Amino acid sequence: MSGGYGQPALPDKNRVAVLQNIAHKMRVHIVNMTDASGSGHPTSSSSAADILSCLFFHVMHYSVEEPRHGSSDRFVLSKGHACPVLYAAWCEAGLLSKEHILTLRKPDSLLEGHPTPRQNYIDVATGSLGQGLSIAAGMAYCGKYFDKASYRVFCIMGDGETAEGSVWEAAAFSSHYKLDNLVAIVDVNRLGQSEATALGHSVDVYKARYDAFGWNAIIVDGHDIMAVCKALLTAATTKDKPTALIAKTLKGKYFPGVEDLDNWHGKPLGKQSGPALEAVKALITDNGPHGLSPRPIKDDAPKITFPKVQLCEPPKHTMGEKIATRKTYGEALVKLGKNYSRIVALDGDTKNSTFAITYKNCCPERFVECFIAEQNMVGVGIGLGCRARNIVFVSAFAAFFTRAFDQIRMGAISQTEVNFVGSHAGCSIGEDGPSQMALEDFAMFRTIPGAVCFYPSDAVSAERAFELAANHRGVTFTRTSRPATAVVYENTETFEIGKSKVLRKSDGDKVTVVGAGVTLHEALAAHKTLQAEGINIRVVDAFCLKPVDKALMVECGKATGGRIVTVEDHYFEGGLGEGVAAAVAEDGGVKVHRLAVTGIPRSGPAALLMEDYGISANCIVKAVKKMLA
Amino acid sequence: MFPFRLNPLGPVNASADRSAVTECEPPDYPADEEVATRSGYGAGLAKLGSANPDVVALDGDTKNSTYADQFMTLHPNRYFEMFIAEQNLVGAGIGLAKRGKIPFVSTFAAFLSRAYDQIRMSAISQANIKYAGSHCGVSIGEDGPSQMGLEDIAMFRAIPGAVVLYPSDAVAAERLVAEAAAYEGIVYLRTSRPKTSILYDADESFPIGGCKVIRESSEDKVTVVAAGITLHEALKAHEILAAEGIAIRIIDLYSIKPIDKEALQKAASETNNTLITVEDHYPEGGLGDAVLDAVATQGVCVHKLAVTGVSRSGKPEELLEYHGISADAIVEKVNSL
Repeated sequence: MSGGYGQPALPDKNRVAVLQNIAHKMRVHIVNMTDASGSGHPTSSSSAADILSCLFFHVMHYSVEEPRHGSSDRFVLSKGHACPVLYAAWCEAGLLSKEHILTLRKPDSLLEGHPTPRQNYIDVATGSLGQGLSIAAGMAYCGKYFDKASYRVFCIMGDGETAEGSVWEAAAFSSHYKLDNLVAIVDVNRLGQSEATALGHSVDVYKARYDAFGWNAIIVDGHDIMAVCKALLTAATTKDKPTALIAKTLKGKYFPGVEDLDNWHGKPLGKQSGPALEAVKALITDNGPHGLSPRPIKDDAPKITFPKVQLCEPPKHTMGEKIATRKTYGEALVKLGKNYSRIVALDGDTKNSTFAITYKNCCPERFVECFIAEQNMVGVGIGLGCRARNIVFVSAFAAFFTRAFDQIRMGAISQTEVNFVGSHAGCSIGEDGPSQMALEDFAMFRTIPGAVCFYPSDAVSAERAFELAANHRGVTFTRTSRPATAVVYENTETFEIGKSKVLRKSDGDKVTVVGAGVTLHEALAAHKTLQAEGINIRVVDAFCLKPVDKALMVECGKATGGRIVTVEDHYFEGGLGEGVAAAVAEDGGVKVHRLAVTGIPRSGPAALLMEDYGISANCIVKAVKKMLA
Repeated sequence: MFPFRLNPLGPVNASADRSAVTECEPPDYPADEEVATRSGYGAGLAKLGSANPDVVALDGDTKNSTYADQFMTLHPNRYFEMFIAEQNLVGAGIGLAKRGKIPFVSTFAAFLSRAYDQIRMSAISQANIKYAGSHCGVSIGEDGPSQMGLEDIAMFRAIPGAVVLYPSDAVAAERLVAEAAAYEGIVYLRTSRPKTSILYDADESFPIGGCKVIRESSEDKVTVVAAGITLHEALKAHEILAAEGIAIRIIDLYSIKPIDKEALQKAASETNNTLITVEDHYPEGGLGDAVLDAVATQGVCVHKLAVTGVSRSGKPEELLEYHGISADAIVEKVNSL
């Protein structure tokens, strides 16, 4: 009864009955789970139960003993609120017990209200809709082009969530890169949260849209086991394009008094539980164990472990030489990639500005052009990093990462280790003006739990920042600048996460000035000016904004009369200044005066903008004098 | 000399009546009722819509959670269902604002992060647009972290000129909806899922940039600054500490930006130069950092209680405890000083 690997034969009548029974048992679990928790989404779960039964018990190759096996098929539940159906599937697969699934949503249970990778059979957190397909596309891209393995990727979405633009970014990406190992299933149950979806049951329209995006779209009755399996077989034999199953379903299928009715989103069945359980149990023709095992894995994905990644040679710069830190990004990737082949870089049509192009030119097979679609780019990056397959760098203008803040936020919940590199920071980009200036990027990235935020001021520290990022097992964000700035560190200087550098120090320092990136150089210029006037200041290069070097900031603050001035090419909120202020706040007694960009900037030469918007050397000198007055 | 002459049609005059924001029906809650601030938003928005014909509302298939549906019921031709597409939700709101409407754009606070680039650009576009994010913080409970807004205050504080408001009860929520409409510029209103007690009289006013000192004595050891759900935790802590003979001052910081710098500095100077901030938000960029900004040049001691690390599913009370932002956590912090 076997087709080729990944090409399931059609189930015979007996198998169809078994699969149907499993789906109904899953429905029983779904009702019991959400009754026990008193909350959850049973109707959204029920519409997908037959599809999941086909996937988990007829089509997918995976291991219950090793759910995150590198060669197993991947499954992404993009409609994360339907997680009861996922837990029910793993229960029927033997991984979760019937008792355990009744702990859904309890504070001491791993079975949370939306999927999270705290559970070892779930790769990414979902629950913010429209993100799963990008992640699945990233996994599929990895399987096809990096791992060159047999595994396939399945992603089920709700119909309501396909209103998200990110879904269509993912669709365009997937067909462009011919991801024929990717299957999307749209659970078209017609009903959204607060009303019916815009398209209702117009499956023809969904099909036309996916076809238009270069997919092979197949309409199926999502409750017809045979039809679903047939479509999945077609998907397995379709070359050069991904497949989309447009599955017509009913929300709350088989639940009397609930099925296909308004106002049941996100509610346990309450009084309707009894009738639902009765109705579903009556449909089960065999209550014994189903006896099905997942299809065996073909173990052809390469085994990967991450070594300590190092620059193939130390930085080779001359003091005072002017280099933009954005330029260093590409060079650093090349130096890291020489020693380790699983470093991949993504960019969104800005590679000649972010300098990701330097890496692409060196190692084109390890670069993924994502075009102007930042949400998808971040999702693909997260997908490429799943199951520790790659060390991933994603670059864009820092301002445009705001386009993917929700994906970055969810990435942290997914425990991703993606390294984000944002160029064109601040008003120092000059004439392009505020739409291209990142002035709130640290406010964004500093909120990401566990994220490390670097802001190197020269080429030497930038190279080391990228090296640290590649080795950090968590999210990192490195901010690079457009203008060329002087090298201030010796090539032998070492850098650490959470450590800042004191660049100017004397016994008579009256104020500590903390800068980073372009403002570090402004601070050095201010130091010179003030020194000529007999005022000594300590200059600190922050280098790492999160975690902040609390010990150093407190020490410097106390050593300089309790006076710190921070200066940043960023708005006042959420950046360097707040980080420093928070670091010294508990001790009390240290006053922090923050300089930052004072309003929405405009087009103009960088030096003029920095002066007008309050962050130039001149402004620092004034602020220091004011503090001493 | 031009052979052709263009004779475009003249503009169609849209109404420009921007009055009557203060003529909204007042809040009307029994003193002992528990009402969520998201409900206050829904009621306030519906009343605002009745008072001002330029007000429109948009939502992304969460109207029965954000309670924008109350506006929809009263003013169906001024409500726009934008479905699950937050970027477009915000963009359409910007378009409506630029054409003279006063749009209120709502969804879960967490999902406004989906449109942060659009929100960022709305400031550069000088749009008179109001954002409302519900289901803030870990206090939403069992749905878990994907649905929790824990970085929204940081996001909106970083928008130049934006007003950031965080009502602690339904009365304040209703009033702040009207204040938001009267303000010319971007406003963000943060609302909560759980029901909370009514704190203020119906005729209380909440000017933007102000705060409320709601517990005060001459013996106050420290000032606790909070808003939303943690304001109620602070009130519980106040009672626990009072029984132990310790007095604390409490400030309801309903206006996070602009912030009442003078009130905070005054309170600090009268309570041992020490402030404790408590928020249902990550430590970065939120209420605590806003307070820090206001007092940083004074060298005040500020202790920040906030949500650290990725949260999880659980009961709201359990999560507040787990993340160290509950009444017990506040009591512990006060006693440790």
